[in-house]
Amino acid sequence: MLVQFYNVSKIYPNGVKALDDISLKIDRGEFLFLMGPSGAGKSTLIKMLFREELPTRGQIFVASRSIVRMKRSEVPLLRRNMGIVFQDFKLLENKTVAENIAFAMKVVGASHRDIRQRVPEVINMVGLKGKENCLPTELSGGEQQRVGIARALANQPLMLIADEPTGNLDMETSQEIMELLFDINRKGTTVIMATHARELVKQAHKRVIMLERGRIVNDTPHGESLV
Amino acid sequence: MRLSNILYFFREAAKSLSRNRLLTFATISTVTICILILGMAVLLSLNAERFMSRLESDVQMIAFLDRSLSDAEIDEVQEEIEKIDGIKSIKFVSRDESLRELQETYGSQYDLKATLGKNPLPHTFEIEAKNPQDVPKIAELVYRIPGVYKVNYGQGVVERLFQVTHWVRIISLAFIIVLAAGAVFLIATTTRLSVFARRKEIYLMKLIGATDWFIRWPFFIEGIFLGVVGSLLAVALLAAGYGALLQNITSMAIITLVSDMAVLGKVYLALVGTGAVLGVLGTYISLNRFLNV
Repeated sequence: MLVQFYNVSKIYPNGVKALDDISLKIDRGEFLFLMGPSGAGKSTLIKMLFREELPTRGQIFVASRSIVRMKRSEVPLLRRNMGIVFQDFKLLENKTVAENIAFAMKVVGASHRDIRQRVPEVINMVGLKGKENCLPTELSGGEQQRVGIARALANQPLMLIADEPTGNLDMETSQEIMELLFDINRKGTTVIMATHARELVKQAHKRVIMLERGRIVNDTPHGESLV
Repeated sequence: MRLSNILYFFREAAKSLSRNRLLTFATISTVTICILILGMAVLLSLNAERFMSRLESDVQMIAFLDRSLSDAEIDEVQEEIEKIDGIKSIKFVSRDESLRELQETYGSQYDLKATLGKNPLPHTFEIEAKNPQDVPKIAELVYRIPGVYKVNYGQGVVERLFQVTHWVRIISLAFIIVLAAGAVFLIATTTRLSVFARRKEIYLMKLIGATDWFIRWPFFIEGIFLGVVGSLLAVALLAAGYGALLQNITSMAIITLVSDMAVLGKVYLALVGTGAVLGVLGTYISLNRFLNV
């Protein structure tokens, strides 16, 4: 088991109950969609995976380590197991494609040699060969998200976590990004993706967890709930 | 720590400094002004301290002896006084010596011996305490020794002096602490702008799995640089100003300023060190909020 949630609830200091007694398990190698209307708790659940938020009640294990009992100094090591992809890409504007990816390796202490070797690899993987020296502003939205994904993959994570990765992209580009994510999943990386895009999820035939008002209302292994 | 990381930290710090020139300038000026004021306060209290300890060390006791004592009894008194803790020196001044001194102050116009007929002065001991603060206590003990009929040390005035110097010390220390705290606050405010401009980058680094120290180092180097450059400027101004003051004031005999280069050098060095510490402290304060992800 890669991820385990046991009776997790989250109540924010302002009284909002974001998650209400959630239990779930995610296996290594799975592709999982988190769906539900805005405010259903998708983002909170995702943020707990990399310990940006802690549960008010309940227990969470990621790769057999308790998120709740983890020391502050251990959090960076936890996060190095994960690649995070953002809706707004979060690329550094003043750095080129290659530099953005190298930066992610640099900050976790990778050596020059590893960086030189790995950066072209992931650029190839996401299909951006030839764009290494472009600045993010010179790229389309889809290409920028590919940089985001390449950056997330640079440190060879166990799982890729994507919060609305296609939220800012048109349908066609979104489908291309999905193909890329499926591809990454086929090579063994667990992918957890929160999304609103019903059509994309429907086509995928992957596991779907539906959230509503902080509760799991549906958990189907191949997205049957959407048919 | 990897060498490439250290180079990276310095490069990042240099980039940030040259990217925000205006902010760099503003922070350096802030540090300069703070350290300048702090330095003036330190020099002032240093001189006050020197002046006060000189005043204090001038405090001396004179024990007057009964005129009927024999030489043997005088020796006994001296032995008794020497037994008291905290005495630095004791000097016997015979009545003849006292009269001679007195004669000198009056000059040769008056022949005191002729006028007075005989020497009216008693034998005395001049006693110095190791710690001037102990003078009143020691004086009391000396007074109790048989054969001593009076001890003079400027009663009343001395107690007042110690009261004043005590408070001057506390106030100047408090003043310096307040100034240093103000400097930290000002530096924290200016570095917060530089941290704020890069909050997205910091957030990203945190989520990728960078350690807090990896994120902090470039900012710390930046803070140290700003602190050291700012305080070096301040020390240069201070040294020039104080040097000019020294040259102009040496003619006045009453006030002698601290002019010992070893002491002043230590003060200047400490000020530069303080600048560096303030720079780090300021960035630490403004950075911490953004690391809490």
